[in-house]
Amino acid sequence: MQAAEARQRECWRCRAATAAALVCPACGTVQPAAPDADLFAMLGLPRRLAIDAEDLERRYHAASRAVHPDRFQTADPRERGLSLAASAAVNRAYRTLRDPAALGRYWLELHGTPLGENNNQVPPTLAAEVFAVQEKLEELRAAPDDAAVRAEVRVLRDELAERLEAMNARLLEGAERATTDALAALKHRLSEAAYLRTLLGDVDATLAEETRGTHHRH
Amino acid sequence: MGRIIGIDLGTTNSLVAVLEADGPRVLRDPETGAVLLPSAVAFLPEGRVVVGAAARALAAEHPFDTILSVKRFMGLGAEHVTDEDRRRYRIVPDAKGPVRFAVGGRELTPPEISAYILRELRRWAEAALGEPVGQAVITVPAYFNDSQRQATKDAGRLAGLEVLRLVNEPTAASLAYGLDKQDEGVIAVYDLGGGTFDVSILKLTAGVFQVLATNGDTRLGGDDFDERLAAVLLAHVPENVRARPDVRAAARASAEWAKRALSDCDWAEAQLDVPSAGIHLRRALTRAEFEDLVRDIVERTSAPCRQALRDAGISARDVRQVVAVGGSTRVPLVRAHMDALFGRPPLVDIDPDQVVALGAGIQAGILSGGRRDMLLLDVVPLSLGIETMGGVFTRLIDRNTTIPASVKETFTTAVDNQTSVDIHVLQGERELAADNRSLARFKIPITPLPAGVARLEVTFLVDANGILSVTATDLRTGRERSIEVKPSYGLTEEEIERMLEESIDHAEEDVRQRQVQEARVDADVILSATRESLRTNARLLEAGEGERIRAAVAALEAARAGEDHLAIRDAVDALSRETEPFARRIMDESIKAALADRRVEDL
Repeated sequence: MQAAEARQRECWRCRAATAAALVCPACGTVQPAAPDADLFAMLGLPRRLAIDAEDLERRYHAASRAVHPDRFQTADPRERGLSLAASAAVNRAYRTLRDPAALGRYWLELHGTPLGENNNQVPPTLAAEVFAVQEKLEELRAAPDDAAVRAEVRVLRDELAERLEAMNARLLEGAERATTDALAALKHRLSEAAYLRTLLGDVDATLAEETRGTHHRH
Repeated sequence: MGRIIGIDLGTTNSLVAVLEADGPRVLRDPETGAVLLPSAVAFLPEGRVVVGAAARALAAEHPFDTILSVKRFMGLGAEHVTDEDRRRYRIVPDAKGPVRFAVGGRELTPPEISAYILRELRRWAEAALGEPVGQAVITVPAYFNDSQRQATKDAGRLAGLEVLRLVNEPTAASLAYGLDKQDEGVIAVYDLGGGTFDVSILKLTAGVFQVLATNGDTRLGGDDFDERLAAVLLAHVPENVRARPDVRAAARASAEWAKRALSDCDWAEAQLDVPSAGIHLRRALTRAEFEDLVRDIVERTSAPCRQALRDAGISARDVRQVVAVGGSTRVPLVRAHMDALFGRPPLVDIDPDQVVALGAGIQAGILSGGRRDMLLLDVVPLSLGIETMGGVFTRLIDRNTTIPASVKETFTTAVDNQTSVDIHVLQGERELAADNRSLARFKIPITPLPAGVARLEVTFLVDANGILSVTATDLRTGRERSIEVKPSYGLTEEEIERMLEESIDHAEEDVRQRQVQEARVDADVILSATRESLRTNARLLEAGEGERIRAAVAALEAARAGEDHLAIRDAVDALSRETEPFARRIMDESIKAALADRRVEDL
């Protein structure tokens, strides 16, 4: 049904068939986004989680060249507006597909079980670790000039960063088949990764703050 | 429509460039041949406005009426102005909206003052290209927020230029560097200008210039070096004259000279002469002393660089090239600092004062279809969001998101029969709305219904200039809703319209004055020629002719004193008619004399 609709689309200017293309293959005019187009289709990809980074970037650059507002400076206002909208959509597609966490969230949305916004609760699997990091951060805030504590926080930071990287690498594992169990597991991993990312941000902010403080004193 | 010009509207100097078949070229002042237009505007008595080098020279004499570095005030409100700025200029206190300067009996906003600079550059371009110019690309610091960008666009409009694109300065510089080289890989652009610091990390892939991250400080630059040096000089000045605006302006000018000298030499002698204040100062400065004075300012560029690298997800080792942009990168300490930050010396092949303008010229060429092989993908420098319950800042578009970017949000009503939804848009990285920069308030009308029933879909769109626009659709009716925008520190549409009308009035005034001036020049030419002829060739006058000519001279002198250029022209014509037979006789005489000489020679 969706495919049939896509096939019926035609260019608003020259009436050539456009399918789901961003620009008309016949006259090069920018087309309004197809109502059924997902972010994969936007860059001509099948709806699959396995994405080759280099191929993705090539497709993104090609799509940008086709629709970017720089190319439509002398076009009429309607096409300029379409170019702006298409360019924003292409940017969103690339931003989502290149980042495993964003892609995971989008995958859940596509399958009707969005992650939701409020994920401030500590995942039980991380509780002990989070507690240890928070404690060390408190220590550093209390004694910003203590080089030993600072060094310990740095070590913790690097461990966190490594752990997050490892987590990101297998974030989407097994979610391709989108069974209820697979999606639930994906959700769990996404929450964990999101929490680690926030924690890492806190650590970086605290380290940066104290560095600034030291500079003021000198 | 003519050529599209590229303009670098700088804090200290501004330039204009175009893309030619063989590459970008900066255009020159048709009178002096200069490529740098000092970004100075002086407002003198009787409504006279002077721009550029002449204005900068007036700064010491007219410190309050000469605005230097107006770019520092773009997009700011009165509450963002520092105490030092208040001492330096007459800033209208408690004004709502943008900063207002009281200059030459008028109150002017930064976009209006910048428009004078843009008009001058437009004049240069029109003289160099020999055709009218109406469209431009203007560069802005990458770290400029929405208000600062909008203010720059408004300035262009007030100068009669359609601003087709705002380009980030470091990105423009990368275009200039990447033009001839088929370079691939990551480059860092370190741009320390007169008043702003930017750093951008870009990835170059087959003609695509993709900005990965940008960061900076819109109030950090070479002007700060000058301030420090000026303070050293002022410390030698008697306390009772130290705060005098003319003394401070002279000290800043001397400091700036010394700073430049110390980039080339290890030693320089700064001179400060203000006879009216009894100041005749000579102060020796070494480069080491200068470097100690400004080290902490240079060090302030480190944090933005590290943050940009982190946001780009790369380490300094991954950076293939570092590009130096902005006059302040001539300072050896700055170059050493860049080397330390990125682990390699910066590229300085292209004049750091010109590289941004050259890039702007290239982008102008891209927009006119001249360089279809190149494409720029830039980012929004600061997160955009709205104020939500409890004064919390809710991010909608994260910093370093590639533009154009859009996001849709659905809003509903909180109370029964609510007739509008108010949205407060802000920009910044802090958690609380109050800590971020307010951009604008949007009021969107909505059908009155019980609370929570009405649904409004609001689209926030950041265009390729990094400027936000907001549209809204009533989801129940599917109708687009109109939006009333109140910019926090910008000009409203009505204000711009009014300023445009005023500038057209002024333009007529300017044209009239020029016509009078030109007519007077013609009058002076014929008057002096006539007087000379009457004196040397009186014997050739016929009876009564001398009196008639003298009467015509008197009539022209009277007209010349007036302001009516047509009356002057008429009097010039009358005098010309009256002297014509006399002039012919003089001519005949001289020919006869010449022929007589010839005959003598021939013999």
